[in-house]
Amino acid sequence: MLKLFEREQLNLAKLPEAQTAIEVRDLCLRFGDKHVLHNITMRIPKNRITALIGQSGCGKSTLISCFNRMNDLIDNSVTEGEIIIDGRNINRKKENLSVLRSQVGMVFQRPNPFPMSIYDNVCYGLRLQGIKQRRQLDDAVERALIEAALWDEVKDRLFESATTLSGGQQQRLVIARALALKPSILLLDEPTSALDPLTTLIIEELMADLKKRCTIVIVTHNMQQASRVSDYTAFLHQGELVEYSDSDTLFTLPEKKQTEDYITGRYG
Amino acid sequence: MDKWSLRQFLTNRQQQSYVISLGAFCAGLLVVALACVLMLITIRGLDYFWPRPVQSIQFELPDGTAKQVYAQINERHINSAVESGSEPAFVFRYSDSQHPYGRSLLVEANAVEAISEAAQAADILLINGSRVFSEPLSIRLPEDQSGELTQYDEIRDTVTAIREQIETVRKERLASVHRELASLDLRQVEEDAPARLRLYADFERWQQEVLSLEAQLADYQLVTRFNNGREFLIPLDDIDRLSYPGQLDWFGKLGIVGAGVVAFLTDAPKQANTAGGVFPALFGTVLMIFVMTILVTPFGVLAAVYLNEYAPDNHLTSVIRICVSNMAGVPSIVYGVFGLGFFVYLVGGNIDELFFKDALPAPTMGTPGVFWASLTMAILTLPVVIVATEEGLRRVPEGLKSGSYALGATKFETIWHTVLPMASPGIMTGVILAIARAAGEVAPLMLVGAVKFAPNLPFDGEFPYLHLDRQFMHLGVLIYDGAFHSQTDVRSASLMFASCLLLLVVVFVLNVLAVILRRRLRKRYLRGY
Ligand SMILES: Nc1ncnc2c1ncn2[C@@H]1O[C@H](COP(=O)(O)OP(=O)(O)OP(=O)(O)O)[C@@H](O)[C@H]1O
Ligand SMILES: [Mg+2]
Repeated sequence: MLKLFEREQLNLAKLPEAQTAIEVRDLCLRFGDKHVLHNITMRIPKNRITALIGQSGCGKSTLISCFNRMNDLIDNSVTEGEIIIDGRNINRKKENLSVLRSQVGMVFQRPNPFPMSIYDNVCYGLRLQGIKQRRQLDDAVERALIEAALWDEVKDRLFESATTLSGGQQQRLVIARALALKPSILLLDEPTSALDPLTTLIIEELMADLKKRCTIVIVTHNMQQASRVSDYTAFLHQGELVEYSDSDTLFTLPEKKQTEDYITGRYG
Repeated sequence: MDKWSLRQFLTNRQQQSYVISLGAFCAGLLVVALACVLMLITIRGLDYFWPRPVQSIQFELPDGTAKQVYAQINERHINSAVESGSEPAFVFRYSDSQHPYGRSLLVEANAVEAISEAAQAADILLINGSRVFSEPLSIRLPEDQSGELTQYDEIRDTVTAIREQIETVRKERLASVHRELASLDLRQVEEDAPARLRLYADFERWQQEVLSLEAQLADYQLVTRFNNGREFLIPLDDIDRLSYPGQLDWFGKLGIVGAGVVAFLTDAPKQANTAGGVFPALFGTVLMIFVMTILVTPFGVLAAVYLNEYAPDNHLTSVIRICVSNMAGVPSIVYGVFGLGFFVYLVGGNIDELFFKDALPAPTMGTPGVFWASLTMAILTLPVVIVATEEGLRRVPEGLKSGSYALGATKFETIWHTVLPMASPGIMTGVILAIARAAGEVAPLMLVGAVKFAPNLPFDGEFPYLHLDRQFMHLGVLIYDGAFHSQTDVRSASLMFASCLLLLVVVFVLNVLAVILRRRLRKRYLRGY
């Protein structure tokens, strides 16, 4: 109950543009003939953590992949509707994907460090942008690793292979890798599902910390986690946005029957 | 009936154990077969270097003339004759005054009167690759003096010094005179210009010097005696190595083997590939494999990357894939014919038309050469590299590619920075297989540039140093050639086996290098995956 007073409530339906990080308008997506997302409209507030929950296969991953257009990599995907980030529709044809993806970072369910040194992993995105000066890279690596709460553990072994890190460290490394590009939005697709509770906690704390710097969208199957860390929660069901409100309301007084059934574990 | 079926006879467990035993037996058989092949080639190959005793043989020719000679007997033939139960016969190589440089002969056992060890007889290897078996007596020096055999080494050094002097004069003096004369010719300087006359005088002087040195050399001779008492003179300058196999202990024999191995690796073949070394063939083989690797790797990798990453997933792509795998099964001679018809005649011929027109009708590129051979072998091994690389590409986890894309990498950057490094062990596997395949081929090479004897290496001090248009020698061709000589000649059979052994060593070394490289790449890029 204490939480309720800590958080100022925003009216999601009438969120002013200045406070909107991502605006989704009538988003539809299909893979070939298979419709996965139906007319999704939502505004994701800036510098907040928004959780996406829903049954397996309901389209959560697909939805957040729309925010950095990772669905483009799937041959038969067709996207309709608009997604507005930074005042521009990222679904337009001439959107520069490299710029978009450095602005909208993404972390996957399974940690996927590259088979290089820890240092090179964090530099990967920066090097792609053509940054070569050692000093600049050193600074960026240190900053990103500190932000990802990994610096103390790896500062003496920056040039060892990243695959020697533990799972939780790898996941934080991957977060650091995304943070090195100073993204304004960070997409996390079930970032803790492969981790133990303690490491999960570290990552959750990390998210609360990162919220100052960027907007976070997290997909999770863990109701406790969603209510613990997120400010807002969206419930998806079979590709439709069923309910979207601040987390406290959604988890305590859900408006829709479907939502209630899902969060109380009656199905799914 | 049922009573006798195997099923009833054996329990399930027994059946299983029989199947496992059978499998183990087959695997064991394979290992034994491989070991046998290696042993045979190693033993017969090393036999080439092992000093054979020189023996004194008395025998009668079919026409009744008796002969007494120094000879080296080929023991293999005696053994095989004894085993097969046929009339035993001796095959040996001997020297006498009629055939001082050796002759191979088959004599039936009952025509041989006596055989005895001849420790005093030497096995004299000449620079031109032939051998003389005779007993050294003394050394003849200039001005009709004579030296002791014990002074052989010193005198040999003097001779070498004179020979070197001649070579220096030839290389430094005469060659420069020739060059200057040629440049005068080019500028069309008159026949009686003073510069020309001075050069003629120089030429005359140095030529005289060479002649006098050579005359001096000719005075140093080894006096030897054949078994029938006739004397025979061998110019010291012609002698490469002199040894007394009958007097050697183990260390001495090993020394001979060592010298023989070094000569084998560094010398050119002599006596129509029946003696001497194989350096040009070794060089040609390694060069061909290197050039082929340099050609096939980028092509194969590019093709595999295209097929795996870019090509749409449709029927055409799968048809191409099937074609690629089937290409590996095309007989290699077909590639040879293709290389000859397409690369040499068509491509090479057109290059000649376009760029080397002034040299026509003598072809420059339109003739078999090491480059075309490498290119043909590259085409031949391309499928292997493509298939192995694709295998490596497929093993790159999808999650890593997504991770790279999510950091803003383009498709090309993802492939370059993430996919290819992780596929590099697979690529190396392809290269290893390609090397193994290319090193073993002979037939296609003979069509596109490998020859039994090439006067020049494809590499020398002349610009552009690497002459990829030249024909080259190849160990495989040498072995093939040797197989024809080997029926009559003992030594060249051994040479063939020694070349085989060397070819195995080359393939083995190249493979080991590639495997080490692959292990390092694996450790670097695939640890933890
Ligand atoms: N490449 C694809 N081709 C066709 N259909 C796909 C593809 N990827 C996903 N889908 C389908 O889209 C739907 C949504 O998938 P998505 O991965 O977004 O689900 P999710 O909500 O993330 O599930 P989970 O919680 O299990 O991760 C699923 O029915 C899935 O089968
Ligand atoms: Mg998912």
